[in-house]
Amino acid sequence: MKFKAMGMSKVLRVSGIMLILGLAIEAVSLMFNHPLSFMGFIIVGGTLLGVGVLLFLFSLVSIAQSNPTSAPK
Amino acid sequence: MPGPNALLFALIGVTIIVIAMVVIRPSVTMTREGKMLAFVGFCVLPILCGTLGASEHFERSKQTSFCLSCHIMEPWGKSLFVDDPAYIPAAHFQNHRIPADEACYTCHTNYAMYGSLKVKLNGLHHVYVNYFGKPMNPIHLYEPFNNRECLHCHEGARSFQSPTHVAMMDVLTSNQLSCVSSGCHDTIHNTAGQDKVKFWSPTP
Repeated sequence: MKFKAMGMSKVLRVSGIMLILGLAIEAVSLMFNHPLSFMGFIIVGGTLLGVGVLLFLFSLVSIAQSNPTSAPK
Repeated sequence: MPGPNALLFALIGVTIIVIAMVVIRPSVTMTREGKMLAFVGFCVLPILCGTLGASEHFERSKQTSFCLSCHIMEPWGKSLFVDDPAYIPAAHFQNHRIPADEACYTCHTNYAMYGSLKVKLNGLHHVYVNYFGKPMNPIHLYEPFNNRECLHCHEGARSFQSPTHVAMMDVLTSNQLSCVSSGCHDTIHNTAGQDKVKFWSPTP
C-alpha cells in the first residue's frame, strides 16, 4: 500500500512538473507574435501538456486496475 | 474589463497553482475532494489552457506581420507598398479593400468548407519548412489561384457588375478562366521587378 502510494506521488510529481513546464512555455509563447513562438508552443508546450495529462490519466487507470475493489459497483 | 489574453494568463496561473499544490503535497489526493482537485488540475484545466492557447496562436497567425516575420517573405510584404494600382495585392492593401492587418490571410485563405483548417495546416507546414527544411525556390502556390477567393468579396458588388464581368461570370465561377490570367488582372506580387517600381510610404 505504501509502495503504491509512493508510486502514485512520484507519477503525480513527474506529470505535474511536465504540465507546469508546458504551461510556462505556453505563457511565454503567448507574449510574442512570431512563428518561432508558435512552433515552440505547438511542439514543446503541446508535447509536455499532452504527455503530462496522459501520464496522469495512465496513473489513474493503473491504480484502478491494481485495486479493483475501489471500482464503482 | 480584462481582455481574453489576460483571462488566459490568469487561467494558466490558476492551473499552475493547483498543480503545484498537488505536487508539493500529494497526500491531498487521499481524500475525495483532493482526487477531484487533482483531476481538474492535471486534466481539465491543462486541456482547456492548451485549447485556448492554440486558438489564440491560430488567430494571431492570420496577421500580416506574422506572415512577413519570416525573412523569405520580405519581397512579398514589400510588394504591398508598390505605388501602382495595376498591382492587385498593393491596390487591395493600400486602399483597405482587405483588412490591412490580415492582408495575406484574406486573399490566400480557402473560402471553402474546412478551407480555414486546410490553410492553417499549410501554414504550419510553411513554418516548419522555414526553420527545419528547405523552402521551395522560387516560392509558388500549391495550386493555381482559385477565383472563389476573389469572388468571395467581389461577387454581387456593384463595382464588379460591369458588362465584361457579367458576360464571363460562368467561366469565372467554374475556374475555366482565371481572374489573374494574362490580359486581365495579371500583375500580382511581381517580386522580380521590384527594382523598377516606385513605392508608397503611408503617412504616419
